[in-house]
Amino acid sequence: MSKKNYRFDNATAYMMLTPIVVLLTIFVVIPFIYAVRVSFYDWSFYQDSVFVGMRNFTNVLTDDLFLKSVGVGLKFAILVVPAQMVLAFLFAHVIKGMGSKLAGFVKTAIYIPTIISGIIASIIFVFIFDYSAGIANYVIGLFGAEPQAWLAEVRTALASIALPAVWLGFGLTTLIMLAGLLDIPESYYEAADLEGAGSFAKMRFITLPLMRNVILFLLVTGFTGALQQFELPLIMTNGGPLNETTTPNLYIFNHFRNDVLVGNSIASALLLFVVLGSISAVIFKVLNSEKAVDG
Amino acid sequence: MTVKKGATAMKLKAQWNSVWLNVFGILIACAALFPLVWMFIAGFKEKTEVLATPFKFLPDRWLITNYTGILEDADFIRSMLLTLGGAVLFALLSLAINSMGAYVFARLEFRFKRFMWLYVIMSMFIPGMAILLTSFIVVTKLHMLDTLAVLILPGVASAGHMFFIRQFYLNVPIALEEAARIDGATRFRIFLSVFVPMSYPVFVIVGIGSYLGYWNSFVWPTMTITNTHLFQIMQYLATFRSERGSEMGLLMAGSALAAVPTILLFLLTQKYIMRGIKISGLK
Repeated sequence: MSKKNYRFDNATAYMMLTPIVVLLTIFVVIPFIYAVRVSFYDWSFYQDSVFVGMRNFTNVLTDDLFLKSVGVGLKFAILVVPAQMVLAFLFAHVIKGMGSKLAGFVKTAIYIPTIISGIIASIIFVFIFDYSAGIANYVIGLFGAEPQAWLAEVRTALASIALPAVWLGFGLTTLIMLAGLLDIPESYYEAADLEGAGSFAKMRFITLPLMRNVILFLLVTGFTGALQQFELPLIMTNGGPLNETTTPNLYIFNHFRNDVLVGNSIASALLLFVVLGSISAVIFKVLNSEKAVDG
Repeated sequence: MTVKKGATAMKLKAQWNSVWLNVFGILIACAALFPLVWMFIAGFKEKTEVLATPFKFLPDRWLITNYTGILEDADFIRSMLLTLGGAVLFALLSLAINSMGAYVFARLEFRFKRFMWLYVIMSMFIPGMAILLTSFIVVTKLHMLDTLAVLILPGVASAGHMFFIRQFYLNVPIALEEAARIDGATRFRIFLSVFVPMSYPVFVIVGIGSYLGYWNSFVWPTMTITNTHLFQIMQYLATFRSERGSEMGLLMAGSALAAVPTILLFLLTQKYIMRGIKISGLK
């Protein structure tokens, strides 16, 4: 027995794992189990909880506001992610073709928005979209268009929140794409040149297939990230007008703040967890297995 | 002759292309920086001028009163310093806790390793919003509200960061620690004297990531800190905006100053961060 344990370092291992495991248990695992339990109860801060089975879940799934917020989340993701991906793909090509000194400057410049907080971005963009004095109306005014109440109108509110989201996210997306581009051996393109392939053919048969994994990774992380966005609408519009910018997380957060009955909101948060958690688990599995193959 | 002429034309065309690329690249950089530059400049404007009609980019008169004014606001200074201190402490603790976990999972064999691995990794897939309210209940029961601990402890252990550091440790050659083992060093000693010193590239990335997470966080402080003397900087800004929103020049100056430490830190460490992006994107 002692021989079998010879190369095991149980004591050291557990000593060094204690902090991370204890903290995760107290602040992630226990709240999670607690949340799962509460989702089956009619629970409140002020009274005894009552077991209600699946009622919270059926309540949530029949709540028009929740369903609308899921729709808003999807619309938001569709506004943000494709725009971000296309811009990043284009910009990555531009940076790749630039001289290295200037490219360094551009890389730094586009990364800076990524590290700025959603709160500061919201403060800036509320001013940018100001009706009478914001730059957005000034710019469209140059083209003779009427000023818009960007954040107050149903038609434009969500798109106006998508813009800062793209601004915050496109730098990192571009740099990851650039890393993927630079990873493609130049000799592939040279060979294609000798064959007389045009830019489009090179894109179609070399760049896109070899970038498949990077693009997939960015699509999925971008999508799950966009679905979870709520700081921007919280500060910029507080979910309005007419809940047009109430994303799922903002819906849940508003319920936390306002409801005495929290079973519903926890149930909706868990539903979201099932969807988002399984998406990210799949990505993780894919990425991790590739790692193993690479050695 | 014609061949040479063709070659020159191609060269010219290539040069012309690269000029266009450079111009376009600089335009992208300007667009990315524009909102921030606007914010810094708006900090120099009179409060009525920030939203003057029609839109004007530069102030009529450059005033520094907003910047000096916000720097004289004791609440602003306090929340900047508190957040800075908290963020540094958070980053250091995050490195200590997560790198120990990373080392154990990368190098040691122990009972229930697989179970422990799954237990830790599983926590990565629980979105913050799903446990926001129950975490709040937990910290309330632990009497942690309105303390620095409630800002630091709940988020400091991170399976994601642990995983990132572990990937780095997996690539450290075994031979490096064999020598230390033969000299009779304990595993913990090896971690401290062999692994930690060579970890700086990955520590910079994880440290900055943790720092940013703390500095930029808003929702958790809003829920757990009600004592205005402990307000975090994003909380301060959001409160300023809703309570004193008409003092726009001050708000712009405060927001600009709140972005400065982050930008400086990034500029100082960008070499490592750019390298980290490469790793995270491709693997």
